[in-house]
Amino acid sequence: MSLTGLHLTAIGSGRFLLEPGVGLDISQKNELIDRILGRLQQGGACLMYYHLGGQPVIEEAYYDWLDTLARACTAINVRMVCVHMQPTAAFALSHILKAPPAFDSALSVDL
Amino acid sequence: MAAKNKTSSILIDVLKLQMGSISDSIEREGKTILGGSNLLSSEEITDFCLEFLQLLISLLESKDPHDDASPQFHALEIFFNNLSKQLLVRGGRVEDLVRYIQFMQRTLIEALGTAKNVSPQDMRELLLYLSGLFNEMILSVFHAYLDEKERTIYAQEAELRETATPITEIWDGVLTLPIIGTLDSSRTMIIMEALLSRIAAERAETVVMDLTGVKSIDSQVSHHLIQMVRAIQLMGSAAIVTGIRPEIARALTSLNIDLGNVSTRATLSDGLKEAFRRMNIQVTRG
Repeated sequence: MSLTGLHLTAIGSGRFLLEPGVGLDISQKNELIDRILGRLQQGGACLMYYHLGGQPVIEEAYYDWLDTLARACTAINVRMVCVHMQPTAAFALSHILKAPPAFDSALSVDL
Repeated sequence: MAAKNKTSSILIDVLKLQMGSISDSIEREGKTILGGSNLLSSEEITDFCLEFLQLLISLLESKDPHDDASPQFHALEIFFNNLSKQLLVRGGRVEDLVRYIQFMQRTLIEALGTAKNVSPQDMRELLLYLSGLFNEMILSVFHAYLDEKERTIYAQEAELRETATPITEIWDGVLTLPIIGTLDSSRTMIIMEALLSRIAAERAETVVMDLTGVKSIDSQVSHHLIQMVRAIQLMGSAAIVTGIRPEIARALTSLNIDLGNVSTRATLSDGLKEAFRRMNIQVTRG
């Protein structure tokens, strides 16, 4: 399934992989979250991997997007796991965070 | 401009007339100051003296010898700058070079004493010119000296940083980081940068941070520590903190630092055992 700036793929066993692209517009987060959550529910998802490999820095606005999406996923009983976070992004995000984030992290997609 | 040209032509005449004796005198002193400690060979000192006099004459013959932006002036500066670097690399002292430059100035001023028909006004101009010129050369030497010192300090700091944060892959996917001394902001940044890059490169599943070498902790240090643990977890690795001394534990509590979501173990050995347990690795005696 392709949304503007996002690619959501079912990878089996109720797991999905979300790959953001360069065209992702996080200012439209409500609309994006509605569509992502709709697709996750449709596919009977229990876990969604968010691929952060192409995100060199995570600043306040992007963290807000991740946080809102993760909390929305929790509301429909889907666990969000960020994978392939870049060292620079982890460094920047660790300076922003005041409490543990709403999402989990993993090195890569668990096969 | 005419007065300036007059003074420089007086100086050129003196230099050309007494080139041999000025060169001999500078060379002799150079061999005493720089040759005695084998910083420069005899041939190098001879070449150096000739080059200096050539560059000086070329500056005096330029359109405006007072123009410190002219190529001739710049060439003279570079000449002293390079000489300074060369001597420092060979273990020379900047004081010796400065003394030598002052000797050159004195030699030129003494040579001016033989010049005929020079008015007191021209002589004053000449002395002022030489004093300004040689001051600039001394400054150039000091710049080179400071550059060289800074380079040495940076290199030493880099080496210290490298040895102060030895991140070791002790097992496939397990990194250990013993922290010794104080964690200030700049050191935390350096450690984090190195550690996060290693996690990405080695795909490390667990990082064991050993604080046995941390003697004291304050709110800033504990904040840095939490930041580091958080960054490790964000990368998708597990962080295990070991070697927390009782006084550090007490300090963390009084600072309201919540280590609730951080795995801690008493010793590095316990931390490694925990890492192996999480990764389903069993180490048995052969």
